[in-house]
Amino acid sequence: MNELTQNIRRIALVAVAGFLLMALLFGYWQVLRAPALRANPYNQQARQRTGSIKPGSIYTRDGELVLGAEKGNEGWQRLYPAGSVYCHLTGYNENSGLQKSLREALLGIGAYQNRWGVISHTEQGLDVVLTINSKAQRRATELMAGKRGAVVALDPTDGAILVMVGAPGYDPVQVMESQMSYELFTNHPASPELNRALQGLYAPGTILETFVAAVALDTQAATEQTVFNCRGTEQIAGITVNCSKPGGHGRLTLSRALANSCNIAFAKIAQLIGPEQFRNYSSKFHLLDKPDLPLPAAQGKLPDLVGNNAETKLVEAALGQGATLVTPIAMARLAATIASGGQVVQPYMVDRITRQSGETVTEHHKRQLGRAISAETAQQIAGMMQLSVEEGNASSVGVAGCRVAAETGWAQNVQGKPLSWALAFAPVESPQAAVAVVVENDILGRPVAGPIAGQILKVLITRQ
Amino acid sequence: MLIACAMIGAVGLTVVTAAIGQPLDWAMRGVTPAGVLLIAVVLMDLGAAHRDRLLLPLSGLLCVLSIVFLTRIDPSLAAHQLIVTVIGVFLMVALYFLMEDIRSLARFKYLAGLSAIALLAATMLWGKEINGARLWLSIPPLVTLQSMEVAKILMAIFLAGYVADYRHILRRNSRGRGSIQAPSLRALAPLLLIVIFCLAIFVGQRDLGTAILFFGLFVIMFYLATGQPAYAIEAVVLFAVGLALVYQLFPIASVRVSSWLNPWADPTGIGYQPLQALFCLSEGGIFGVGLGYLSVAKLPAAATDLILAVIGQDLGLIGSLGVVIIYALISVRGYSLAWQATDRFASLLAVALATVFALQTLIIMGGLLRLIPLTSLATPFLSYGGTSIIINFLAIGLLLMVSRDCVPQPEKAR
Repeated sequence: MNELTQNIRRIALVAVAGFLLMALLFGYWQVLRAPALRANPYNQQARQRTGSIKPGSIYTRDGELVLGAEKGNEGWQRLYPAGSVYCHLTGYNENSGLQKSLREALLGIGAYQNRWGVISHTEQGLDVVLTINSKAQRRATELMAGKRGAVVALDPTDGAILVMVGAPGYDPVQVMESQMSYELFTNHPASPELNRALQGLYAPGTILETFVAAVALDTQAATEQTVFNCRGTEQIAGITVNCSKPGGHGRLTLSRALANSCNIAFAKIAQLIGPEQFRNYSSKFHLLDKPDLPLPAAQGKLPDLVGNNAETKLVEAALGQGATLVTPIAMARLAATIASGGQVVQPYMVDRITRQSGETVTEHHKRQLGRAISAETAQQIAGMMQLSVEEGNASSVGVAGCRVAAETGWAQNVQGKPLSWALAFAPVESPQAAVAVVVENDILGRPVAGPIAGQILKVLITRQ
Repeated sequence: MLIACAMIGAVGLTVVTAAIGQPLDWAMRGVTPAGVLLIAVVLMDLGAAHRDRLLLPLSGLLCVLSIVFLTRIDPSLAAHQLIVTVIGVFLMVALYFLMEDIRSLARFKYLAGLSAIALLAATMLWGKEINGARLWLSIPPLVTLQSMEVAKILMAIFLAGYVADYRHILRRNSRGRGSIQAPSLRALAPLLLIVIFCLAIFVGQRDLGTAILFFGLFVIMFYLATGQPAYAIEAVVLFAVGLALVYQLFPIASVRVSSWLNPWADPTGIGYQPLQALFCLSEGGIFGVGLGYLSVAKLPAAATDLILAVIGQDLGLIGSLGVVIIYALISVRGYSLAWQATDRFASLLAVALATVFALQTLIIMGGLLRLIPLTSLATPFLSYGGTSIIINFLAIGLLLMVSRDCVPQPEKAR
């Protein structure tokens, strides 16, 4: 009987251990994991509670209301006071745009809630302040009206997104008006829901020559004064390269080649650089990166520069054609990197998250990503881009009373329609804004993007 | 202590009725089970024999909680639960008085074992399927009963009687060997039989919980019979492998298993129930949201499978831990009666009953807390149900009888 007693005690111990484990698991789910679970969008229980929270608003840094809230018959309703100007930022319901990605902040739940709190009934969400410059954003929306394409402007000193417009946009209020208007919206041939600024993949065309020139100078594969001969059309690495100028530019230096977007010179420069350095610098520049933003974005593409026809692919890539695809934000980042003297910036759009009383909860911290090119190279490229504006083919970007560095160009689009590109920053001596514009265009060579870039810069640098 | 239960019930129900806007006389309901139990206690004391004083108040507390929470979920369920509770207590008292000595129950061990198997088999063949699990036996026009609840207590009686009689046979072949046991055929045969029987329950009833419950009961009793923990471990491994194999061969209960493995893959479909249960728990946090503060209309099976989630939501971690402690106390009390009992059959019966009680609770909690797949087992004394409440009261009654008949009175006065 004694042994039986002992064994029964052992069993009882196992049972107690089991109950202890359950107690720990209750603690795990009810305390440790509770904030994340409470904030989960599938949580039907929390919906009863979050529905009564006054959601936070979204503002631009200069104080314009982007997304508001109003108490309606069915709880809190979202307001879009600026209509389509911020459509790709706000989204059109709680499952799109920043309303989806910043849900926890806007409702003050999840990561923004105290884990140990006593039945923390949040009453108010948090406000979000974006880095957007409302005047420039409005101007860009006006300029892109009726077009397809994107405008992105960054502050080259820290990567703050000042303008982000994808065209065509939409009016969030109209989209949510009825099932029919929603269906029209989702089936629209121009896909207005697509935020072309972040999700549009475009062939960069000749504006990628700024990158190629920067790599050539930084690797000392060529200097500003290296002379190239352009005869208008030439066989390079097995493909026929045509220059934009019929008959060719004749003998010209690298600076002139950039100012005139000379394809033949750049095909030759690419060969001097070689595929390895080309790839190496594309990662140093974070050229293909998907930006770390709270909105969906696409990743750029560059062909594998290896194998038998690596040379051909390299020449195609250097001319921004073939399989090379970039997003407008990546091009704005390229301009900002040159503008900031070679320092790569990390684009960001949420400046700070505050209580509705104004007290700051979290704030953006600048992230250093290192240097892509030397300050000297950056300065040389800036000089060449300035020359493009003053004497070359980027004259349309010029802003009166300000030194602008720019590069414009065109590219063959994937769908076959040519694109107009512009890349610019200003003022050259201490850059305040870097901008990239792309317009999907149906008339070859019409420089639509250049003037738009100029207009945006004008709004962004009137502070002086 | 029972009077304290009654007060808890009254206060709880007052809060609930205030929250759901029902007339306040509902509050009387919370007092009823405690009152009925109080009468039972007085009645049992008329017999004047000494007995356990802990089990009744604890199970009474669970009944009171059950009435409070059922009122909060759906008042009409609470009314039904109340009637069943009264019947359960009545049957328990009747059993207590009719059976003069618990030891006489050992005579019925084969009858109990056969009826348990017959019940389980009948359920497998003609059972009613609810939520994919076949746990219900419908005997029109009489009743629909959850047959495994009845079978578990019958099986406990059978195993206690069988092991008490044949313990020496099973032990003989395992004596005097090394620490690593190669089980002989005589030990292996019952072991395999256990595993196959439980796998059959799993396949036949489509419920993992029932299979684990019976398996756990068998293994514990087998361990007590042989005194060899190695056998128990071997059986667990065999059973786990068997379950995996059976699951591969016939994807039964596949919804529950896949919703257990990855509920986030389909949070509005198969993952809905386990996730909403967790969401309820997380809402509760440490101190709970308060009785009836949030509706649980969107929580499937709130009154039956997931009543613990509702308690966790309303009373928070404090409430959950309180419930865990009550269950642990009842189980440990059962085991302590077992090791105090002077009679082998009574002792083994107490072990079997305590094991069934503890294991069933752990299986349900484990399902809720994502340790194992969710099951349709009833939470003892808490879940809305008929068979389960009555059977659990009978099990408590048997434990009380063990304490009355076989546990010597301590020398010191209590």
